This record gives sequence, C-alpha cells and structure tokens, in this order.
Amino acid sequence: MTHYIIRRFLLLVPTLFGITLLTFLLIRLSPTNAALIKGGGGEGGGKAMTAEQREQIVKFYGLDKPPLVAYGNWVGKAMRGDLGNSFADHRPVADKILERLPLTISITGSALILSYFLAIPLGVIAAIKRGQVVDRTISFVVFVLYSIPSFAAALLLILFVAGGDYLNLLPMYGINSINASEMSLFPWLWDRILHMILPVVCLTYASLASISRYARVSMLEALSQDFVRTARAKGLRERVVILRHALRNALIPLITIFALELPVLIGGAIIIESIFTLPGMGQLMFQSLDSWDEPVIMGITVLAAVVTLLSYLVADILYVIVDPRISYE
Amino acid sequence: MNSISLSQETYTQRLWRHFHADKFALNGLRIVILLFIVAALAPFLANSHALIRVADGHVSFPIFLSLEPIEWRFLLYVPLAGLVYFFRHRFIAHPGIFILAVIGFIAAVEIFLALTHPINDPTNDRDRPASFKLLPPIPYSPIESTPDQFSPPTWKHLCGTDSTGRDIAARMLHGARTSLSIGFVAQSIALTIGIALGGLAGYYRSWLDIGICRFIEVMDCFPPLLFILVAISLFESQNNMFYIMAVIGLTSWTGVARLVRGEFLRLSSLPFTLAAKAIGANDFRIIVRHLLPNALGPILVAGTFGVASAILIESSLSFLGFGMQAPTPSWGDILSDARRYIDFAWWLAFFPGLAILITIMSYNFVGEGLRDAVDPRLKMK
Amino acid sequence: MTMPLLQVENLGIHFGPTVDPVKAVDGISFSMQAGETLAVVGESGSGKSVTALALTRLLASPPARYVSGSIAFEGRDVLQLREGELRSLRGKQIAYIFQEPGSSLNPVFTIGYQIREAIELHRPEVRDVTAEIVHALDTVGIRNPASRLGDYPHQLSGGMQQRVMIAMALACQPKLLVADEPTTALDVTIQKQIMDLLKDLKRTSNMSILLITHNFGLVAGFADRVVVMFRGKIVETGPTAQVLQNPQHPYTKALIECVPKLGQKQHRLKVIDYAGIQ
Repeated sequence: MTHYIIRRFLLLVPTLFGITLLTFLLIRLSPTNAALIKGGGGEGGGKAMTAEQREQIVKFYGLDKPPLVAYGNWVGKAMRGDLGNSFADHRPVADKILERLPLTISITGSALILSYFLAIPLGVIAAIKRGQVVDRTISFVVFVLYSIPSFAAALLLILFVAGGDYLNLLPMYGINSINASEMSLFPWLWDRILHMILPVVCLTYASLASISRYARVSMLEALSQDFVRTARAKGLRERVVILRHALRNALIPLITIFALELPVLIGGAIIIESIFTLPGMGQLMFQSLDSWDEPVIMGITVLAAVVTLLSYLVADILYVIVDPRISYE
Repeated sequence: MNSISLSQETYTQRLWRHFHADKFALNGLRIVILLFIVAALAPFLANSHALIRVADGHVSFPIFLSLEPIEWRFLLYVPLAGLVYFFRHRFIAHPGIFILAVIGFIAAVEIFLALTHPINDPTNDRDRPASFKLLPPIPYSPIESTPDQFSPPTWKHLCGTDSTGRDIAARMLHGARTSLSIGFVAQSIALTIGIALGGLAGYYRSWLDIGICRFIEVMDCFPPLLFILVAISLFESQNNMFYIMAVIGLTSWTGVARLVRGEFLRLSSLPFTLAAKAIGANDFRIIVRHLLPNALGPILVAGTFGVASAILIESSLSFLGFGMQAPTPSWGDILSDARRYIDFAWWLAFFPGLAILITIMSYNFVGEGLRDAVDPRLKMK
Repeated sequence: MTMPLLQVENLGIHFGPTVDPVKAVDGISFSMQAGETLAVVGESGSGKSVTALALTRLLASPPARYVSGSIAFEGRDVLQLREGELRSLRGKQIAYIFQEPGSSLNPVFTIGYQIREAIELHRPEVRDVTAEIVHALDTVGIRNPASRLGDYPHQLSGGMQQRVMIAMALACQPKLLVADEPTTALDVTIQKQIMDLLKDLKRTSNMSILLITHNFGLVAGFADRVVVMFRGKIVETGPTAQVLQNPQHPYTKALIECVPKLGQKQHRLKVIDYAGIQ
C-alpha cells in the first residue's frame, strides 16, 4: 500500500511540472507581459496598470530574466508558498487565498456530500425500476436539472424565494445578516445556515444530476452480474441482495466520480459566489479578474489545478482501498 | 422485423433507425434545427425596419440594407448546409464539382460581405408613414431602446423589456445566433484538436502517446471555466466572438482526445487494420480510410455533448461579463442584466434561462440518442 | 411408491412477445426421488439452464413467463409459493452451484462472509458459525480452511472458487443440489477434481443432485438417470446406462458421439447434423 502511494506521488511530479509550465507560459505570453518582456513601459499591451504594478510584475515573474531562470525562480517561490503580493492591498496572495478558502471548501464540500447522498438513492431506485414509470420520471427530471444553467437557477431562486416582490423566505446575499456579530452562537449558526441554503442548492443540483446518472448505470451493471443471482439463490431478501450485494459493487466506481465533479464545482463556485456575494475564493477570483490583479489570478489558477490534481490522486488511492480486486503492490 | 432487411442495412441507416425510434432524441434534433432556422431568420423575425416598404411611389426593402455580415452568413450558410445535405448522394458521386461549387459560393459571399457595408439607420419603420409596409412579427431591433423601460411581458413586448427599454424577445432571437455559432464553432475547433492529438497518440503510441497523455492530464487539472476566464482576460480586452470561440475550443478538446486515442488503440490492433498494413497501405490511408470512419460514431456523440457544454460556457462567460457584451445580444448578457434588477424583473432571468435550458437539453437529448444508436448495448432508457 | 422429492409436470416457460414467443421450455415433465442423481443433458439453448433456475423461480418474471404446468417440491407447487416461502426454499432446500465460479461469487466480500451469510440465514440454531464455515470448506477439500476465511474470491483459483461455491451450497444441508454446468468454465484436470468431489458428496450424504450439462462424458458413472433436452422439449429419458448404450433418439445419439473417446481414432470431430433430427 505504502509502495503504491509513494509511486503514485512520484507520478504527480511531471503533471505538476506541466501545470506550472502552462501557467508560466500563459503569464509570459499575455500581450501585456509580452510587451513588458520586450522592455519599455508595456503600454499598448492591453491591461491598464500603474508603473508600480508593472515593476512588481516584472520583478515577481522575472520578466526581465531569461525564461528558464525566471521559471525556476517563480516555481521556487511558489513552492515556498510565495505567490506574490496583491495589487489591490499589497498583501501576500497566499494569505488572501487562505482566508477565503474555508468558505469555498465548505460550500463546495457540502454540495458534493449532499449530491452524493441524494444521487445514489435516486440512481439505485431508477436502476431497480428500470424502464418503469419511476425510472423514466427520475431520468427525465435529472436530465432537465443537468441542463439548467446554475446562474439562471440562482437568479430565479433569489427572485422568487429570497426577497424582492415575491416570497421572502431566505436571505438574498452574503454569508450572514448585518447584525450577525451581535448574535449568540445558535442564532448565528441558524443565520449562517439560512444564508448557505440557496448557494449550496444551486451548486448541488447539477452534480446531483450527473452523479445519479453514473449511479444508475453502475447499479444496472452490478445488478446484471452473476453474483446477484447467487445471492438470490441463497435465499437472501431482495433488499439485502440489492443494498448489500449489488450496491457494494456499484459504489466502487462512484467513489472516483468526485474527482471529476470537483473541477466543475470549482467553476460553479466562481459564478455562485459572485451572484450571492459570498466572500470565498470564487469571488476573490472574480474581483481580481475585474480589476486585473494578476498575482492573485495566477495564484488561484495554480492552486485550483493543484487541488484538482490532488483530488485525482485521492480518488485513485480510494479506489485501491475499496476494491479488494486491485492489489496494493 | 425480418432479419433479411436488417442485414442489408448500412451503418448509417442502422444509426438513423435507432435514433428515429428515440422520441426524445428526434424531438431534440428537431428543436436544434428549428433554433438554427430561427437564428438564420432572426433579422426577419425581429427588426425595427420593415420587410417591404412602399412610400412616395418607391418600393424598398429596408431590412436587407441593414443586415450585418454575421446575419448574411447565417442567412446564406444555413441553407447551404441544408442543400449539401439534401444532395449528399450526388455530392458523394461528384465530390470535386460539389466542393468547388461550395467553395465558390462561400468565396462569393465573403467577397460581397467585404465590399458592402450595412447601412446603419437608427430610425425605425414602426412610426414612419408609408402607404404600405410589412413589419416583422416583432417590430423591434435587438439594440434599439424604446421608451417602455422594464415592461413586463405584454402583447406589445412579448418577453418584456430591459432597463433601457430594449425588447427582450428581439434580443433573444438575435442572441440565438451568438449561442449557436459559438457552440458549433468552438466544438469544431475542439474536435479538430482532439481528433488530431488523440489520433496521433493512439496510432503511433510510444513516446508520442506518453507526451500527449501527459499534456491531456495537465489540461484536465485546470477547472474549465476558471481556465477560460483567465485565458480570455489575459489576452483580450474588447469582445470578439471569434476569440471566445477559439478559447473555448482550445480548452475543451481533452475529452475527445482521450476518446479518439482509446478508439484508435483498440481499432489499430484489430485484424482489418493489420490487413490494411499487410497490403502496404500507408499510415495516412489507414487512419483516414479505416480508423477514423470506425471511430466516427463515438466522436459524433462526444461532439454533440460538447456543443451543449460550449453553449453553457459561453452563456456563463457573457453572464459574468467576460463574453459577448452589450450591445451584441446574447442570452447570457440578458441574464447578467437580470442580476441588477433581481427584485422584480423576473422576465429578464426567466426567458433567456429557458432558452439556454431548451437548447442545452435538446443537444443533450440528441447526444444521448446518438450514443444509444452508436452502441445499443449501452442503451440507457 | 413414496412421493417424489421433485415432480415437474408439463412446465412451460416463454420469453419475448406473447404472440409467437420464444418457448424456452415447452411442456416438460420429469421427477426425482430423494437421494437420486439426475442429469439433464442438452446443448446450449435447449432450455436446461432455464429449467434449473425455474425450480426456485430464480428466473425473474418478467421477462420470463411461467405459462403452464407445476413444479412440486415435496408436494408443494413452487410456482404458487409466496415470496417469503420461496426464500426459505432457496438455499435451505434447494441450493445451486453455477457455471462461472469467478463471477458467481461477490468480489467485494470475503468467502468466509459469503458462506456465513447462508448459514446465519437458514440455520439460526448454529452456535459457532465460524466452526461450521471451516467444516464446510474442509468438506469440499480446501486445505487449511481456517486461514482462508478472510480471502477474497479473486485470490483463489477457478477450481478453488468452485469448491467455495459448493461449500456455500452445502452449508445449509439442502435436500437438492442443482449443479448448473459446474465444470464448463474450468480446466480439464480441475473438472475431474470437481466431479470427483461431487461423487464423494453424493456417496456420503443423502442429498439429491440435479446435474445440468452438455457433456455426456460427465454423466457416465455419476448420474442414476438421464433426461435429454432438445429445443425446450424432453426427447429421451431413462437410466444412464441404458441411454448411453442404446440411445433411441437421433439427437441423443449425436450428443453421445460428440464425446471424444480415448483410444479411438477419429478423423474429425463429430458435428451434430440437425437435418437428420426431426
């Protein structure tokens, strides 16, 4: 097991190299920075920056140095957690990201967990009732959910249930009410939960749709296996046959799906956080793009890629752990 | 069904028979075709200029004078695609003549577009007196402001108006062009790159395969929307449709590449490929004549789903203010407008949201139907 | 004459459309006495496996339709039983072993667990279940059984997997063991070991065995009686020796000739000539 994990970690190195190289190329090839590399003030390259900001970028990304040296320096700094300073407030990018990370992790995490909890029963029921009205209804609803753009859903949900001229059940914006600081723990927690409902719902439903489709196919596959017949031939209850024998097998491929959903969720979080004005990483990204805060943009991009890479790794290792057929060595 | 007629069926006929039996897929295809027709005819369906106007004894066709190049392209190329499809059997019989004719037609259109300029006439024909005028069903232009601001849906403005009194129905009809063309072109770019790289990796294997696979892995680590946002804002400050198409295409080819690689790996070890090699066919011939046609089904399926996701990405971009921006009408842009007036203007969110939903769902139904037809064993329904 | 253990009467099972259905089993009748070993022989598609599965209604309906007849096990008609009664029949009274031991065992559970499940379900009176599992594995000739309880099916060879299947079937001391092509997926040497094991079990217990096979070679020296099935119908039945030495039906003759015999020169393998039958 340890051998496998070590080997799998070593395989990360070339991909990590690729990720940093690609980001580095993006930085150097952007018209603004390309103009800075050529020397001169970088005017006419596109993005409006102050002279001070230009100087900062040249220094941090080594735009005045040969590409190889610049890449080495930049990766070295990034490895030590130094992603440069933000244009906006001159604070280290790493700090800015870290303080916003918990919120993003909590909403994408709850969305992921919630979608698994809802999607697997849906997929299993659809598979058991294959071809029947229940299956067709679930499949159709899931298909519609899958095709609704999350931002349109978010807007309509805000419009109809969160204030405005219609129902006013849930708060519209932010992570807490204005007077949250005066609340005691439980009202504060309740207030936070109310604020989280809409963003999490908007982030959840699309993942829910795709995971439940996977779950259905995976369950159908498991139900068609010979061992299901063996379990029935033993005289086990149908519930036991399905929930223990078939589902255990169907869950194995589903475990890895979370790694595929994560990049989609990160993209979704950018939109959802900006709609609900939640101070998470997505909103930071959006603000930085708006005001062209290059160090922050690049920091988030690299971080998101590395997180995705790590989630692929976790998925692979989990797969080996849950599936007894795959040997560790 | 008797087995004799089945055995004489070609692959395409079998595909079509399966596809045709799937009601969802067939209706999805009908809606997609309808959307393309609507997009092509948008200037005639929603325009402040008259189709025909008779005044002072003169007959004029004001709409034609105001058509933008992209409107001409849609208007002429969509029927061209229909014609090519209609005469496809003769096309296969005389490919040379037909390809020349098509290229000639496109060249003529492009030269015409390069030489003419649309007349930008800010007036409208609704109020202008005339002895006879035929107005389009929605007599508003997408970029035209009217005094009715924030009108909810009424008979006058079917889908309401926005903050500057622009007619939402008109903007939606014209916006269909943006979504459909970006989805189509971006996915064509992605397919080209994906087939090329996936094909190379799957056919030549060895170090080329290792390199390309690593590249795919790296690309897949970047969350798509985030990557596209960065790429767009790094390189471009003004909005440009072709630029957005290129960025979406350049970032969404990995799925196709994986698929084509897998298919080529599988197909290139099958007897018919070995037989082709044995009789001395060169690599190009084997790839184009033997491997590609056999991998075409799955590629088509992936391409269809890809168009749906490209449309979703495009509308997300416009929504976030990074894609096509006002005054160019696009569904995402109307939605981003809706965000500012979220208290009451439900129509600003509802109609474009519904349009995106229907388009994506239709493409997904077509994709699902195709997948079931390509491989009936995987049938989901 | 005592009541037979199993009495199948005019059983008909159809698949597909109601008009012009596929008649997988087309009105067959046979019976088995307690302790008797019966072989059902026929090629694939002859309906023998469908018959085997139908004995405890393991064949899901739909798609299968039980259109006629009865299956009386100890006098009770299986086709009339309720779901709960069926479950106490399966595994407890009638146990199965299948063709592919590799896919018939659940890959994510240990073999110990899979046998335990059967014992706990049907023999709640057993105190020391683990000892019982070890005993069952020992009976089927698995060496050092206590150490293998935690093994997953994929860690065993095909022959061992089939022994586990047999142990699982025997663990509840069924009255009838249905062996559906138990050796088809195995190597020839393993085939012999498994058949020898089944012969031993037959000798040491009073269990009836219903052997489903396409191979007449397995039947000789094992089954007391033979039923030959062809296209959903029984074409011949009788004591094994009689059928083997003096087959009446041309299909039976053809099947017997398909078995290669040692010490006999054959220029080519026999192929069944269907035109000559019926």
